[in-house]
Amino acid sequence: MPYEDSHLSDEDLLLAADGELPLPRMKVVNEHLAACWDCRTRRARFEATIADLVETRHAILDPQLPPVAGRRALLKARLSELAAASGAGRWSRMFRGLAVRRVLAFGFAAAVVAFAAVAVIDRWRFQDSSAIVAQGPLEPSRSLTPGATRQVNLRDVCGGAPDEGTARVVPASVRRQVFQEYGMNGAPPNDYEVDFLITPELGGSNDIHNLWPEPYYSTVWNAHVKDELEDRLHEMVCNGQLGLGAAQHDISADWILAYKKYFHTDRPL
Amino acid sequence: MTVPDSTGSLSRVLTATAKTTSDSLCSEVEREVVRLFDDHRTRLLRYVLSIGLPIHDAEEVVQEVFLALFRHLQLGRPRDNLRGWLFRVAQNLALKARQASQSRPDHAQLDEVVAASPVDPAPSPEQQFAFSQRQQYLLAAFRVLPLRDQYCLHLRAEGLRYREIADVLEMSLGAVSISLTRSIARLERADRG
Repeated sequence: MPYEDSHLSDEDLLLAADGELPLPRMKVVNEHLAACWDCRTRRARFEATIADLVETRHAILDPQLPPVAGRRALLKARLSELAAASGAGRWSRMFRGLAVRRVLAFGFAAAVVAFAAVAVIDRWRFQDSSAIVAQGPLEPSRSLTPGATRQVNLRDVCGGAPDEGTARVVPASVRRQVFQEYGMNGAPPNDYEVDFLITPELGGSNDIHNLWPEPYYSTVWNAHVKDELEDRLHEMVCNGQLGLGAAQHDISADWILAYKKYFHTDRPL
Repeated sequence: MTVPDSTGSLSRVLTATAKTTSDSLCSEVEREVVRLFDDHRTRLLRYVLSIGLPIHDAEEVVQEVFLALFRHLQLGRPRDNLRGWLFRVAQNLALKARQASQSRPDHAQLDEVVAASPVDPAPSPEQQFAFSQRQQYLLAAFRVLPLRDQYCLHLRAEGLRYREIADVLEMSLGAVSISLTRSIARLERADRG
């Protein structure tokens, strides 16, 4: 027997477990392991230690990981800014080589095009907002949905308040009442989220004054976009970057404005 | 009436075409960066946390990593081993941030984080005690490992291959193998109590 007096090194065992050995050496190691209980036992201990280490890291680090949505949206905003800035830089370098007359002529033409574009966009926005009004409100009515909160503190908000789940439940009767108040009895309910103006994660309550029918689709500023804002504000509040009161105020005063403010963008990402 | 300047028109057309191409390349790179963010954000964040940054700083570092990636790709720089590149940039930024804050000693990381972590309520007291004991042995052994060995372990735990670890930490492949073997052997002895 070739392996009676010699055993595999620790390094060979680990390299084999990690799939890092060259194939010929792997074959030798596997043959040895098939014959040697000692080395298999050592390998099992290594594997158990690795498992303990992995488990410990996850137990310690994973609870700290915040939801990804807010940061993902922020990254997209920053990338757009960066792309715009780098594009502008490239154009300014390009124009440096042109004659001033041509630049001025180009500028004039660009201004004309921009003016026409603004006119078209304005018209489009006007038409778009008319369509939105016919389908449902972009933003909640100040009188019907001024926003309402429950008694919470930072610990409740950031530590996962026990009543958070309860606060998320909107009874069917209240949902119907919301549609009724907004004069939208005939609207298809699946196209709307009866949304919290101040999200429960920021201390919003399920009082009817905190609820309105928000379109999922049809508009640029829809329920999915607001969800991103909610994640972002929650994260900022829990990181100590923003006060809970300020977050509640900004999202209830004008959530679209708040989105623009906290994502540094004029349009949803 | 002005006679149309054909050179100027051509120049405008070329400029517009170049701008469109450039914009589309930009958005393509943006999409790729976001896709890579989706794939690697959690592992990078955990690695940066394990280096000892508080969560808010760690998140900022990860954001910076992907903004740097955007510039890297936009400039047409090498794409081979992008995962290793991400971890290397994350590590450099994290160490810089930690040095700037001067908030933690070099051997911070896991054991300090564990002290501040909430205890998982799910396991029974016996299980919790047993887990904590093993955890404490492991952490005690982990803490006395050389810093480079700790980083090797963290990177391996995040799924990096030896070649990638070697790139991130600027070590030879052999040195990575020796480091991991030595560390696992030490931890294994500690794990046995």
